[in-house]
Order: sequence, then C-alpha cells, then structure tokens
Amino acid sequence: MIAEEGGAATLDSSSRHLAGAPSLRVSSLRKSFGSNEVLGGIDLLIEPGEFVGLMGANGAGKSTLIKILAGLYTRSSGDIQVGGRSVSSLAESSEVAFIHQDLGLVDDMTILENLMLGRKVGRGGVLMDRGAERAEAERALSFVKLDHSASTLVRELSPGEKALVAIARSMGEGASLLFVDEATSTLPPAEASQVLEALADVVKRGGTVVMVTHKLSEILDSTGRIVMLIDGQVAADRSTTNLDRAALVELLASHDQAGSAASERGRPHPVGDQAIVTATGVSGGKLSGMSLGLRRGEVLGVTGVPGSGLYDLAFLMHGLQRPSRGTVSADPGIKRALVPPHRETQGGFNNLHVKDNIGISALHRWRRRDRLIDAGREKRESLKLIQDLDVRPLSLAASFGTLSGGNKQKVVFGRVLADDPDVLVLCEPTRGVDVQTRAALYELILDLRDAGKAVLIVTSDAEDLFAVCDQVSVVADGELGSFKPVNTLTTEDMEALL
Amino acid sequence: MSATETHVERPTAPAPGGGGDKKKQPSGLMTLLTSNAARSSLTPLVFLAVFTYYGIWLGGTFLNVDARMLDVHQNVPVILVGLAVMVSLLGGHFDLSAAATTSLTTFLAIGLSTKNGMPFILSLVVCVVAGIIVGLVNGILVVRFRMNSFIATLGTSGAVLGVSNVYSGGTQLVPDPAGPQLPGWFVGAGSMGSFQEKVPLAVTVVAAVVLAVLVLRGLVNRRPERFTAQAWYGVLGALVVVVALVYVALDGTTLLRSFSWTIAVMVVVAILLRVALRSTVFGRNLQATGSNSEAARLAGVKTDRTTVASFVIGGAIAAVAGVILAAGQGAASPDGAATFALPAFGAAFLSTVIFSNGRYTVPGSIAGGIFVVWVSQGLIVGGVPFTWSSIVNGLVLVAAVAISTASTRSR
Repeated sequence: MIAEEGGAATLDSSSRHLAGAPSLRVSSLRKSFGSNEVLGGIDLLIEPGEFVGLMGANGAGKSTLIKILAGLYTRSSGDIQVGGRSVSSLAESSEVAFIHQDLGLVDDMTILENLMLGRKVGRGGVLMDRGAERAEAERALSFVKLDHSASTLVRELSPGEKALVAIARSMGEGASLLFVDEATSTLPPAEASQVLEALADVVKRGGTVVMVTHKLSEILDSTGRIVMLIDGQVAADRSTTNLDRAALVELLASHDQAGSAASERGRPHPVGDQAIVTATGVSGGKLSGMSLGLRRGEVLGVTGVPGSGLYDLAFLMHGLQRPSRGTVSADPGIKRALVPPHRETQGGFNNLHVKDNIGISALHRWRRRDRLIDAGREKRESLKLIQDLDVRPLSLAASFGTLSGGNKQKVVFGRVLADDPDVLVLCEPTRGVDVQTRAALYELILDLRDAGKAVLIVTSDAEDLFAVCDQVSVVADGELGSFKPVNTLTTEDMEALL
Repeated sequence: MSATETHVERPTAPAPGGGGDKKKQPSGLMTLLTSNAARSSLTPLVFLAVFTYYGIWLGGTFLNVDARMLDVHQNVPVILVGLAVMVSLLGGHFDLSAAATTSLTTFLAIGLSTKNGMPFILSLVVCVVAGIIVGLVNGILVVRFRMNSFIATLGTSGAVLGVSNVYSGGTQLVPDPAGPQLPGWFVGAGSMGSFQEKVPLAVTVVAAVVLAVLVLRGLVNRRPERFTAQAWYGVLGALVVVVALVYVALDGTTLLRSFSWTIAVMVVVAILLRVALRSTVFGRNLQATGSNSEAARLAGVKTDRTTVASFVIGGAIAAVAGVILAAGQGAASPDGAATFALPAFGAAFLSTVIFSNGRYTVPGSIAGGIFVVWVSQGLIVGGVPFTWSSIVNGLVLVAAVAISTASTRSR
C-alpha cells in the first residue's frame, strides 16, 4: 500500500486540506472462529468527515472488526465497500490507514526515517533523495503539532508524541480515512488529549476517523458519533450530541447483568496497626528519600506522571528492585505479588496457554512429595480462578496472546491471586480495560482488602484512586508526597496534580 | 462441561483458496481439518507420505526394521545434541557450543583412561563435569555479562574445540594396542556401543507397556475442551485399537527386539528430560522465561538462575552424547561431531511442528531427528551418493519447517 503512493501524495503538498475521504459501507459482515461466531452481521455506513468512536466490552468484536477491515483476518461472509467499490479488505486502499495500539514505529530510527519507512520519494534510482525526504517529512508533520526536529530518535519521544508520529505517517502517505485502535488507552490524560486534538484536526480537514476507545470522556469530548458493539452486534449507533456521561454509562451497562460498579469504598473494614512492609529513607531509580508503610486491610494509592519514579516505587515496595539507599523490610513470611504496569510487554506469555500464565508464580504450591507438579490440582485450581474472575473465553487452553486486553488483565490478576500473597502491588490495574471489567477489578480489590491484604495501587488513572483507595499521594520529581484520606480530596485536586 | 466450551478461541484458519467469500458456516469436517490438532500433525504426515513412497519404491531394502533401527542407533549422539540445544532454545537462547562439547567429551572418554591412566568410570564422570562446566560458562556469559547467546556460545564453541585439539594433538585418538584398553562393556563387539547387543525383550516390553500407560494417562488428562469426556474416551479407545493393529501388522515385537543399549540410553535421557521440562517448577520457569523473560521476572521467576541451569543441563546432555559417540566408535576424531550442529538444531526446530503448536518438545526432537535421518538414508538406499546427505538434511529441514509454519500462519 505504501510504496507507490509517495509520488502522488507529494503533488498536493501545498494544500493542507485533504482530498475527499471515501465513504465506507459494511454490510452483514460475519466472522466465525471455528464454531464460535464473533461478529454476527455488522451493518455500518461511515461518511466522509465523521469522527466515530467505536466502543464495546472486551471480546465484543471491536478488534476482530478492525482486523478484518485491515485484511489481517478473512471475513466469513458479508460485504465491504469503499467509495462504492466492493473490496476484500481496506489494506490496498491508499486512502485508508490503520494505527494500532503498538503504533508500528521503530524506536531506534529517527522521526524522519519512520515517516519514510517503506516509501521512496523524489528522484528515481536506488539512492534516497535526502532533500525530497525532508520536505516530505515536513509536510507529514504539518498534520500534527510536534515540537521535535525530524532527526530526533523515536525512542526519545513520549508515548503520546509517538502516537502523533504514527498519525503524521499515515497522513503523509495520503490517508484520509484513519482507523485508530486504542492508541490513547495507555496514555496519561495530557498526552491522550494531544492525540485526540490531532485526530480532531484530521476530521476538520475533511478526513474521517474511526477510533476504538474505552474512555467515556474521549467519546463525549471528541467524537461526533458512537458505535457500540455488544456480542458481535451493533447495539447502538447514534450521534453524541445530547448524550451525557450518565446516558453513555447506562448504554454501556445496559447489557451488564452484574451491574453495580464499586461504590462501597466506604464500607467499614479493619486496618492493621502495624505495617507489614516498611520502606525507610529509600532511594532507587528516580525516587529518593521515600518512607512508606503498607498495612493489612488498607489500600494505598499513589499517582504521578510516568517517568517521575512512579513505577520505581512499585518495584521497590514489591522487592523486585533493590534500593540504592535505605531499606525496604517485610515481616517474615510475607508474600508480595506484582501486577506490572505494561500489560502488553510485561504482563504475560503470549504464546503460552492461560493455564501456564495463571500458574507461573504459584507452581511451588502444587508440588507433590516427589517434587513434581500435580497436574490435576494445577488444572482444578487454575480453572477455579478463571471462573471466579470470569475470564472469557473460559478456557485454560486458550493462548494468552489471543485474549482481549481486559481478559489479559484478569489473567494477570489470576496469576497474582494464585499464590495467595499478603501484599499486592498493582500498577495501572485498570489500564485499557472496559467499564465492566474495571468495575469487576475494583470489586476484587475491595474483597482483597477486606480479606486482610495490604494493597498498593500505583496508577496514572485518577479513577482508580477514587474507586478503591483509602489514602492517596502523589509522586513528583522523584519525591513521594504525604498521604491524605481520599475522601478529603476532590477530582479537581487530583486533576490539578496531574 | 458445556460451560467450558462457550468460546473456542485460537482462531482456526479459513478454508484454503479464499474461503472468505463463502456464505455458509464452516462444516464440521472443515473445522476438523483446520484444527490445531490437524495442523500440528501435518509435518508428521508429510514424513509418513515420504516413507510410504520409499516403501513402494525400495520395498524391503527400506522397510527393514533392523536397518532403520541401525540408523537410529548410529544417530543417537546427534539426537542427544538435538535435545541439548533444545533445552536452551526453550529458554530463548542458542547453544552453538553443544557439538563442540560432544567432540571434547568423545576425546576425554577415549583418552583419559587409555592415555592418562584414569579409572574408566571416573573418566565418564569427568566428561559430564566438563559438559556442566561449559554450560556454566555459557550461562554466566549470557546472564552476568548480558552477552547475546549466539555469539557467546560461538566463542565457547571455538574454545572448547581448541581444548580438545590441544588434548589430542589435533589428530585422531585411538587407544594404543599395547597400552591400557577401554572396558569390553563399553566398546567393541558385545558392548553397549554395539548395535548387535540388544536390550532383553522382557525389559523393552515392560518399558513399552509402562510408557504406553503413562502416555495414555497423560492424554486422558489433556482432553481438548471441545470433546466431551465420553467422546474423548472413544477417541483414545480408537487410538489404542489402531496402535494395536499397527503393532500386529508391522510386527512390533521385532521392533522391541531391536533396541540397542545405546538407544536405551537415549530413551532414558529423553524421559528424564521430558519430566524435568514439563512437570517441575524449573521446566515451567524455563518455558516462561523463553516466552517473555521480562514478564517472567516480574512474576517472580528467577530468570537468570533458570537460564544458567538450562545451559548446564544442555552441556551435560551434550557430554553424554560424546560418551555415546566414543562407545560406538572406540576412537575419537577431530571432526567426529563437527557436522552435528545442523541436524541437531534441525531436530529441535522440527519438534515445534511435530504434534506441537510452536513449542519445543522432547518427543518431537527425537522424532524429528529420526525422520530426517530416514529421509536421507532412503535416498542413499535408493542409490543417491551419501555425499549428498548434507544437502538433503538441509533441504528437508527447511521444507518441513516452511510447510508447517505456513499452515499455522493464516487465520
């Protein structure tokens, strides 16, 4: 798709207005994996200039739909039309670009090299035309607001800036219909809004954007239309004008039998007198001079900008990272477990089964007298865990990599629970999960607290702090602030801090 | 049990030839043909087809239990090296030094007792210790110095080969007819290295029955979720009947009579390794480390220790391979194990596509190693000069892995 389009795109380099985006029509699109129907007849018409938010629970079929459109999966039946032409996928259409969660950038190359990946501009022959490349890169970057020179290594950019480069690349290649698959879900709010601004700008210039997201505020603030998938069907398709947050939550929860979100934060619970893990004057990573105690039955929340030493705090308290100064001491026999911050790279083992992902930290519990693992017990206890956590598919033999984000997170929680730890350090526990999973995880965290666990939540999502934490604090410039009871804070307080 | 069947993910491949535009649901047969089980048996089926063709073409000269078991017997050292490299591959690392370790221990097994006057049993212990040391060095280079395993083990490979060259003076090492000899049970006619010396039938029968029961029990526990318990027992029952029929039709007793002691050593090593990799905490930790070492570390796995252990186990197995090679040849030569790397890595890689969906397995490595030998041996029986066998090895390997990978690629 990329190679031949470069020359044509440069022709209108003076114009910042996009040539008309094509319309997209999807009719009766179905997809089955084996006997399991994932998409049950999707009908969708997307007109030029729309900004569409695609929502739905984990496993509702959003990713499958995008992957079929991108040509990664083959549909079982149905029709896809771009600008009136029937196509098997949008992969060959030069007007269409897909930006996936991993962005597809090469960290060790410069912005310019990333923008030019797979393209050839300027004069013919095998050699690169530096001047033409620079001009072309500038044109591509003019679609977004990025304060870096094109010779900056992508590695040095923040995650939000990387997303901007990915958008610039798609636009530079001449795309006018953008599919953005959860590119904002792992970004802190400030960076996410940068990305949304860039997307809104694309729409303003006459382009079309279809964005998959879990964040209600993004749907409300940025998009003009919401399409919600539930169980492989379009459950709702409407304009976002006159749609308020409450109505949207209702729409999302309408399918949710379990219903209630975690609203019982205040329910009384005993808190231990003594800290079971204590940090005194600890420095390590970007963090310095931190003192902190974790007590049974208490949920502490710490927030801050990633890169401020936030995750260093988590790793230090978990014991994975050794402090360069000070001590972290745990009571004898205390087991600590960690949910790592970056689920896609640190969370689990994509090519291994769910069973092997759940059990990895708890294998020693299932050892028999002869030191071999009791396979029957392993299977029974793992199955019970994924049943309790409501992991879909409910299968120990599914590959971790094929699960949706929320279900991956549930499996990671399952792994932590399997070893029955006393202390849980949870980094970004609800990052990139849907509303129902978020509620279920909050409920789980409160249950763990009531069972006398000590919980430390390290998150860049303010909602986590308000939903489950007893006391919260902020890490800024490597220093941990003082803890305050969460009910003395307001949302504005926290947003000001972030 | 229907609750567990709600969602069979692991999306299966669409029908070949653009099934995308089909309007109907895939049929049951199609689902079966594109299932993981079918895909993972594609490679073994291709091999079976080749052997059937050989059987028709060459008849009894190829379909000869004794001759084919002799092939296996002679290639036990290669297959053991295959198992050695498989262990570190499982943990995500290459061990290119395994064949060199095998060379070194072949020299040590022959020379320490005949040249240096060491008690023979002690010299075998020294061989295994040498393998362990090489593994330890590899592991420390990779873990402590964060070296790429490819280059680290390439380096140790050179060093280890150098040590055996220095030890042997760069020539073949044959026990001096006038000096001390290797024990009669180790080399020569009537020894464990000889193909003529078979494990007694009673022992192989008992071992085969025990193994069959264990495998069957494992299969009972590994019922795929889309089968009901009853249906699965049906499948297993049918499998038992088929195996029994094949046993009778192909005269399985002849097969059981043709296990040499060398092959028996390989089987024992394989069983121990399989148990260690599948049913111990170490084995699971190694698998997790190989899959995603960062995630494993964050989940509490001691990834460094696990990686070192994998190199050590690989080194020890490579050392055993050298001892077996010494037993079979009664002498050591500088290029004895030089050609082992390709077929050994080939066997390990083939294991990912023989009744497996992309994971290294012990039985698969052994089957892969044996299949490749038979493919080239068939050509030799058919009149192709044996100098071609290396080309055949390479081509078979690439073709088998390519076919299987292609079949697992599409969704």
